[in-house]
Amino acid sequence: MSEDRGERRPRPRGGRRPRRKVCTFCVDKIEFIDYKDVNRLRRFTNERGKILPRRMSGNCAKHQRQLSEAIKRARAIALMPYTVD
Amino acid sequence: MNRYEMIYIIDTDLEEAARKELIEKVSALIENNGGEIEKVDETWGKRRLAYAIDYKTEGWYVLVTFKAPAELPRELERNLQINENVLRYLVVKLVEKRSAVKPRANKPAPVEAPAGEAAPAEEAAPAEEAAPAEEAAPAEAAPAADEQ
Repeated sequence: MSEDRGERRPRPRGGRRPRRKVCTFCVDKIEFIDYKDVNRLRRFTNERGKILPRRMSGNCAKHQRQLSEAIKRARAIALMPYTVD
Repeated sequence: MNRYEMIYIIDTDLEEAARKELIEKVSALIENNGGEIEKVDETWGKRRLAYAIDYKTEGWYVLVTFKAPAELPRELERNLQINENVLRYLVVKLVEKRSAVKPRANKPAPVEAPAGEAAPAEEAAPAEEAAPAEEAAPAEAAPAADEQ
């Protein structure tokens, strides 16, 4: 159990990369994530149109909440797809 | 009075004159109910929809920002819902700007020992520095291993 979540404990070879990602919104000092900014939002969805989890995007909790809200709004007015098939 | 932003999609089958009329009508609705229009942005114009709505793949986007009392969005949405030429709408309250986001410092700044009390502080400092360095080294090595 303790082995499969090796976030804190870096391993010398292969396996997980423990490097901490930084929230891109914090870096760009974006206070409010605009649902109209489709190009930016699209980077946080996978090719199926799903919202990426924090562990992949590296966003902070605050911005991830705003981001998911923005993506859902964008979906509601057909700026972004709910699913891509 | 709150500030709102509304975006709605008009059917592209509607001719230009009718479309203008519809936009006028919506704007009038806001103003007649105690609202105050700040901007009507039609620069978005015709856009491809991310998914088909009523088998239509395109829509005419209109973005309106306005000030209005809190009851207005409900009335506005009711009217847009009735109108067949409006494919979708979204009314969102604009949040006033709060204080800037303070990006959290990733690493605490290394404590530099003042010259006067060098002896005891120096003992503590290398020990602190050694630990992060050990953590950092394999972290940098790992991505390289991933790429191979």
